[in-house]
Amino acid sequence: MIRVAGKEHPWWAGMTVADLLQECGEPESYPVVRINDHYVSRPNFAVTPVPDDAEVFLIPMIAGG
Amino acid sequence: MSGHDLKLVKTFAYKRPPIDRGYANQTLYLNLASLDIAARPVTQQMKDLFIGGKGFDLWLLWNAVTPQTRWNDPENPVCIACGPLGGTPAYPGSGKSIAATLSPLTGAVIDSNVGGYFGPYLKFSGFDALEIQGRSERDIVVYVDGIDQTVQIFTATGLPEDAYKLSEVLTEHFAQGKPRNISVVSAGPGAKNTYFGCLNFSWYDPKRKRARYKQAGRGGVGTVFAHKGLKALVARWDSGISVDTNSPADRERLKKVAKLHSKEIVELDPKQNEMATIGTTHIVTIMNDHDLLPTQNFRFGSHREAPNLGQAVFRRLFDPGYDGCWMGCTVACSHGVRDFTPLSGPYRGQKVFVDGPEYETVAGCGSLLGIFDAHTVIELNFYCDAYGLDTISVGTATAFAMECFELGLINARHTDGLELYFGNRSAALEIVHQMARGDGFGRIVGQGVRRMKTIFAKEFGADPQIMADIGMESKGLEFSEYMTKESLAQQGGYGLALKGPQHDEAWLIFLDMVHNFMPTFEQKAEALHWFPMFRTWFSLCGLCKLPWNDIIPEDNKSTPEPAKVIKHVQWYAEYFSAVTGRESAPDDLIRMSEAVYNFQRIFNLRMGFGRRAHDSLPYRAVGPVTELEYESRAERYDQQLAETYQVAIAGKSTSEKVALLRRFREQQYEKLKDAVYHRRGWTSDGIPTLATVKRLGIDFPEVVALLQANGVAA
Repeated sequence: MIRVAGKEHPWWAGMTVADLLQECGEPESYPVVRINDHYVSRPNFAVTPVPDDAEVFLIPMIAGG
Repeated sequence: MSGHDLKLVKTFAYKRPPIDRGYANQTLYLNLASLDIAARPVTQQMKDLFIGGKGFDLWLLWNAVTPQTRWNDPENPVCIACGPLGGTPAYPGSGKSIAATLSPLTGAVIDSNVGGYFGPYLKFSGFDALEIQGRSERDIVVYVDGIDQTVQIFTATGLPEDAYKLSEVLTEHFAQGKPRNISVVSAGPGAKNTYFGCLNFSWYDPKRKRARYKQAGRGGVGTVFAHKGLKALVARWDSGISVDTNSPADRERLKKVAKLHSKEIVELDPKQNEMATIGTTHIVTIMNDHDLLPTQNFRFGSHREAPNLGQAVFRRLFDPGYDGCWMGCTVACSHGVRDFTPLSGPYRGQKVFVDGPEYETVAGCGSLLGIFDAHTVIELNFYCDAYGLDTISVGTATAFAMECFELGLINARHTDGLELYFGNRSAALEIVHQMARGDGFGRIVGQGVRRMKTIFAKEFGADPQIMADIGMESKGLEFSEYMTKESLAQQGGYGLALKGPQHDEAWLIFLDMVHNFMPTFEQKAEALHWFPMFRTWFSLCGLCKLPWNDIIPEDNKSTPEPAKVIKHVQWYAEYFSAVTGRESAPDDLIRMSEAVYNFQRIFNLRMGFGRRAHDSLPYRAVGPVTELEYESRAERYDQQLAETYQVAIAGKSTSEKVALLRRFREQQYEKLKDAVYHRRGWTSDGIPTLATVKRLGIDFPEVVALLQANGVAA
């Protein structure tokens, strides 16, 4: 089990960030997610695994600077 | 012990006016040559049209200079203002000062938005803005004591040169046992010897028992300050500040909206960017992942070693604790490194506290120079602050010199033996020390990219065309630290910015490139109207923009215009209405900024700039200059040529493809200019029309005459 934006979400072995966002119905809204203390950007979503028990935060990242 | 001596040469006693709905309703004028000191009234027109902060600075500057005034003329004032909302402790990000002057780099107005306590303390002492003209041969300290209601001018001897020690000594000197009542503004030796000197604004950190610093970095305001003989400005005010100190029109309404925003940040920042823990350092790896982190003088947008400069490193290095640069701010992103030991310079081997780094410094003094070592970045950060140097211009200027060195445009004979290749950490540090001393090759780098291009061409025989393409300046100001090659909107965000390529007007990269919120020219033009206007508004009011759109409401994506974070814009309208009593909706905030923004564009015109030709960019900001750059992202560029521009690329050499892409991209940028000028109500030459200035109420006779003299017809 993992937590995504504060809510519990089922985890499965081999799950990537891209898989997770697809399951959450949010494939395009977030260019960045944070897994525990680790920031992951969209170009790496498909190759970044989500570990079990992870806390996942969805970062809108529409601004900066 | 510093062994300093302050000799009082002038005292001005005044009666402190009560703050009324965010305004003191007077400004403070000082002349360092004549020692004149005066309190001058703020008119209703000033408040109606210019609001405060940067708006007041611009109005004071406009009345102080002529088209012939240059940065080092005594009449060029340094202006510092807060704003009507500045100094509110309950609302996040409400303690900003805005410093402005005619820039040594650009010749036009430069403005810089900075934290620390000075602006609010100045206002509560009775002055919405400060204007300093004249020049002194002796070192001067100006002391504004809002508690005792006096302004004093001292001549100074024996004070420390560097900003860190100077602020510490002056804080102790004036504190009367309460150091939190003191804020110091100072430059440093680098500000004297370069054209991009910054100002350090202090705030006292009671937990760590030390003065902390934020920098008004851009455009050389510190250079003008130091050239005037100003050693420091000191403000004293009772730090027991509450929401009532601004005498808001509607106290309960203010408390309600302030609580909403403050609470939301406390709840959401830990779930989003963690700015209260890691500042803006999270941006480093995110930019790198999206090919947007400038490396090696903006040649490339990523590097495999970039994570060495990322948040994971600074999470360990930052000293934990509250780091708000204004009281009560819940963003609290002004982190620092405790017990840092520099390996070079006058502090070598000593433990120091370093304020920073932020993203811009990490990128400018790190990846841009090919340096991926956090220790060196922190050391560059420390010495730039202590010497009074803008870390952005230091980074961008040094990177340009490094690329010229690597290309063989300059060599070790020109650099006094410095091997200025990318990644040379000791050379980068030595350049900064030379800037502070005003000697060696650092003296040339300290003149900025635009002047370096002239010097390298005239004195060293370097090719001016390649330097025009790779010298990352526009309007004379060095670029801040974002790659723009793949974002036409951000090319406009930099090229059309009034002061030069600083991202505080428009940061559209993610909206444009990643979210694709603005695919058409018209949508880009609309964004390049709305965002610069709203971002300008923060500097009119004495605010930080980070709480607006760096921490986002969880339901934001389901709103009609998520890019604007309209829920927060509505809160800001509520905030402004509650403090000033001037009932305002979100569109009213845009109109406030529009008047000031257009006035600044016209100010540029008055100083000999402010036309279409001045909105140009070096080609590296638009596309790949060299075959090396093209080939590093060949798939991307080939695809664009083939699919977007319908070019048959088979059999074409890289050189031919570089030239073709350049032609298309430069055409796109010119089309963007047309669309933005039209949206802003400007002529095709980039000048506000008479109808625009009339609509905005800035059709003063002098403005109308200036427009007509520049060919703008009625």
